[in-house]
Amino acid sequence: MFRSTKRRTAGRKNFESSIISSSTPNAYLANVYNNSKLTFYTLPPVGEITLDEFETWAIDRIKILNEIESCAARNKSYKEIESIVAPMIQQTLPLNSTNVEKLNRERQKDYYSHFILRLCFSRSQELRTKFLKNETTLFKIRYNQLTNAEQQQFVKSLNLPWDFISLEEKEQLSTKLFNSISASLGYVLQLDDVQKRKYFEQEEFIKIPFEYVTDLLPQRSIFLQRGTAYVPKFQQLQLLVNEFSAKLEAALISTSHAFPSLDEDDRILPILTHLSSGYSLNYSQDSYGANENSSDINAITVGSKEIVDQFPLCGQHAMYGLRTLHHLKYTARQQFTLFLKGIGLSLEDALTFWSGEFKSVSIDKFNKEYKYNIRHSYGLEGGRINYKPWDCRTILSKPRPQKGEYHGCPYRDLSSDSLARKLREMGLEEKDVQQILEISDKGDYTNACSRVLEVKTNGHVQEQVTHPNLYFDRMRQYTKSQQTEA
Amino acid sequence: MPTIASEMTTDNLESSSMASSPVNPNVSSRNRPPSSPLKQIPSDSLGPASDSLDSSNKKISADDMAFYYERLLPFRYVFQWLNHSPKPQKDFTMREFAYEHRSGAYQRYNSFESPEDFKSSVVRVNPTRFEVGAVYAVNPSERKTLPKSAMKPLEKELVFDIDLTDYDEIRTCCSKTQICTKCWKFITAATKVLDVALREDFGFEHMIWVFSGRRGAHCWVSDKRARSLDESKRRAIVEYLDILKNKGTKRLNLRRPLHPHIQRSLDILKPDFLTIIQEQDPWRDDEVAIQDLLSKIPNSSITDALKKEWTTKPHRSSLDKFQDISSMAQRLPKANDKKMVIEAEEDIILEVVYPRLDVEVSRQMIHLLKSPFCIHPGTGNVCVPFDANKEFNPMTSPNLRQIQGELLKYDEEHRGDDKKVANWDKTSLKPYTDLFTAFVKRLLASEVTGKRERDEQEPDLEF
Repeated sequence: MFRSTKRRTAGRKNFESSIISSSTPNAYLANVYNNSKLTFYTLPPVGEITLDEFETWAIDRIKILNEIESCAARNKSYKEIESIVAPMIQQTLPLNSTNVEKLNRERQKDYYSHFILRLCFSRSQELRTKFLKNETTLFKIRYNQLTNAEQQQFVKSLNLPWDFISLEEKEQLSTKLFNSISASLGYVLQLDDVQKRKYFEQEEFIKIPFEYVTDLLPQRSIFLQRGTAYVPKFQQLQLLVNEFSAKLEAALISTSHAFPSLDEDDRILPILTHLSSGYSLNYSQDSYGANENSSDINAITVGSKEIVDQFPLCGQHAMYGLRTLHHLKYTARQQFTLFLKGIGLSLEDALTFWSGEFKSVSIDKFNKEYKYNIRHSYGLEGGRINYKPWDCRTILSKPRPQKGEYHGCPYRDLSSDSLARKLREMGLEEKDVQQILEISDKGDYTNACSRVLEVKTNGHVQEQVTHPNLYFDRMRQYTKSQQTEA
Repeated sequence: MPTIASEMTTDNLESSSMASSPVNPNVSSRNRPPSSPLKQIPSDSLGPASDSLDSSNKKISADDMAFYYERLLPFRYVFQWLNHSPKPQKDFTMREFAYEHRSGAYQRYNSFESPEDFKSSVVRVNPTRFEVGAVYAVNPSERKTLPKSAMKPLEKELVFDIDLTDYDEIRTCCSKTQICTKCWKFITAATKVLDVALREDFGFEHMIWVFSGRRGAHCWVSDKRARSLDESKRRAIVEYLDILKNKGTKRLNLRRPLHPHIQRSLDILKPDFLTIIQEQDPWRDDEVAIQDLLSKIPNSSITDALKKEWTTKPHRSSLDKFQDISSMAQRLPKANDKKMVIEAEEDIILEVVYPRLDVEVSRQMIHLLKSPFCIHPGTGNVCVPFDANKEFNPMTSPNLRQIQGELLKYDEEHRGDDKKVANWDKTSLKPYTDLFTAFVKRLLASEVTGKRERDEQEPDLEF
């Protein structure tokens, strides 16, 4: 009835055979890049590479993406990210050789590494979002590195449904166009009124269906006429970025559907798993409460000095709030419950711990008003989502704590005085305290936290803290290793 | 919703008959027993309505509704409007409808195979109203047998909801559920602004405005392009239109030069604003409101002078007060100061009369909205479509009681006539169904189906 094994060649027919069959890999690459230095990565790569290349190329790209991610986690502006990442790109993932042979090799590395990472990061929603965000930033950086002519050429190669408007049309709509973009010229390009006029005189506008630029609608920074958006050139990058990320998102989802068919290949899969976990800088826990670090965490030990000392400052601060008030407000409960869940506190222990700490609350009231929340955080109520502990970025994105609230990031939310006092209580020396205060003042909150980790481990752990649980784990590993040595 | 549910239970007979056949919202409507013949009771005996536009208007009974569904509601046009074609296709058959039962139970995920199925189900179930939802990839009534992820909405009309309750802080003539022709002017102003923006800015052509039956209006945009927008795009459109979104107690403070959409809205609203201020007169004696008005003027020399002026002349009308501000501004020596006060006045105009939108209704694709031509259960008014650019008077729009009478009278007078006339054409519903059919006709013509309409005969109106 069915042929048990499919003929090998049959599968290949899915690809756009016209391009593949008639060209060598180099010509193919030149084709997908359309003589530009950028691409939307629409077609899968063809041609063979070695397993070694497979892994090293992917690692080189991951390093860049991780740097972008860690910059973003530290609240760096786009400009700062660009200045940090651009040299890395130049070193390991350049795309600007003038020699055709060399350029093709560069393209090949860029192209393959992108597709390998697509495989790595397509498997879960979390990984996809991460990859999407970082690749989009990478795309943006690279686009900005192109010359004007190259940008135009690239845009042309995309065949998007847009036109540059004629001078007459611009003349005709002049007032409306100027009034539409005037505000954004002010806050995006920081121009004053005279400069705005001048800029407008020279600015070119693109016409495109409004659906492509909906993220420019809420600020009303573009002119709309009968379903067509008039986008000034300086907003064009946003448009490309939207398009890039929309296409990539769709591609990632279809890649994830194709993933099961890779199961047969026992060479690739281990590399992929290794890549998406080991080299991932953003700390994400796959198994809660089941790692070797957590065996001794329970309702009684979780509040002990020994354990609390290993908390990052936000955890210690929440614990302090809880011990002082015998209660915590909603956001702090969320943040802290999930943090404790992340360090391995089981649901049962969590309920015991919280009801014990809420001394002013009767058991009845606790069961009625708080138990549900905690169970919810553990994925046992409502939508049954297994919530993950908040990373630093999430914590920093929540509303700041008001008086009597203990969530958030102490490096951002505490006054210099109380922060200094807290740091001294953690046993830091005065010079370190001052240094950390300085870092916090600059707004590098996660850097300040990383520095604390470094000092507390006597320089043994030099890792960027992007997640409170990462801090805890590293701290714990260090403490254990010290104990075994002793 | 809860108010309606409590109104329903005043009908004792009705609720006891409901008790004997409780409606499980998840049970298919097809299993419901036919309505009991016991309900033949003159509706006058049911006591006066608690709130109504018209003192002669009594509670709407189940029989009234059955009569209306059976004989007057133009199902075929509603069907064509949602189906975008004369022959049933997925736009209709995969679409969700919800019933609100007389018990107050709300039953979602009904879907129908054909206009006949649609009508007979509504007639049989006899809900107080039915609402229209999104088109799904699968048949909504079969959702139980399908994985949750399959119930993704594919398409839905882009909808807007404006409600007079959002204007309570500024309207003085009525409050809560009451309305009059004076406060309806807020809605008229809002519909004008939105209608123009949707046409001029977004290029939509096929929208219909519908009176919600009591104190608001809905707008349905049926263009293919609008129907296929995803939620983030819908949100972006509403945010583009919703210029009051960050409005607290502070002044609106819009950036100058004004965006063309805001400038155009302002030009449209200025005359309406003056009329509304004159009629509502919010700043005559209300000290808090006057203070609030003054706090929005960014020039202390003017506000001081105005305070003095208005204390010496109490009970000065709002319109006069507003014009005082303008004339004071004219006398300012510096052009820049003058400009700032004028701009503040423009902001005030927009704050008072610019449409107040419900973002979530427009954004969510799965949100349901009452169908045109339903009867508002509290007022008995028909949710009639109207033209945004013509005067619409909600106080004189058709009411179920009235059109019931008209239909019976017409049939009485024309007994024996051979000419076949659609029931709604015998009543004052006619201009509204005419408006709707013309709208639906234009919509159908614009749908690029590629298929030629095989059946070009006038459809049987009395199916």
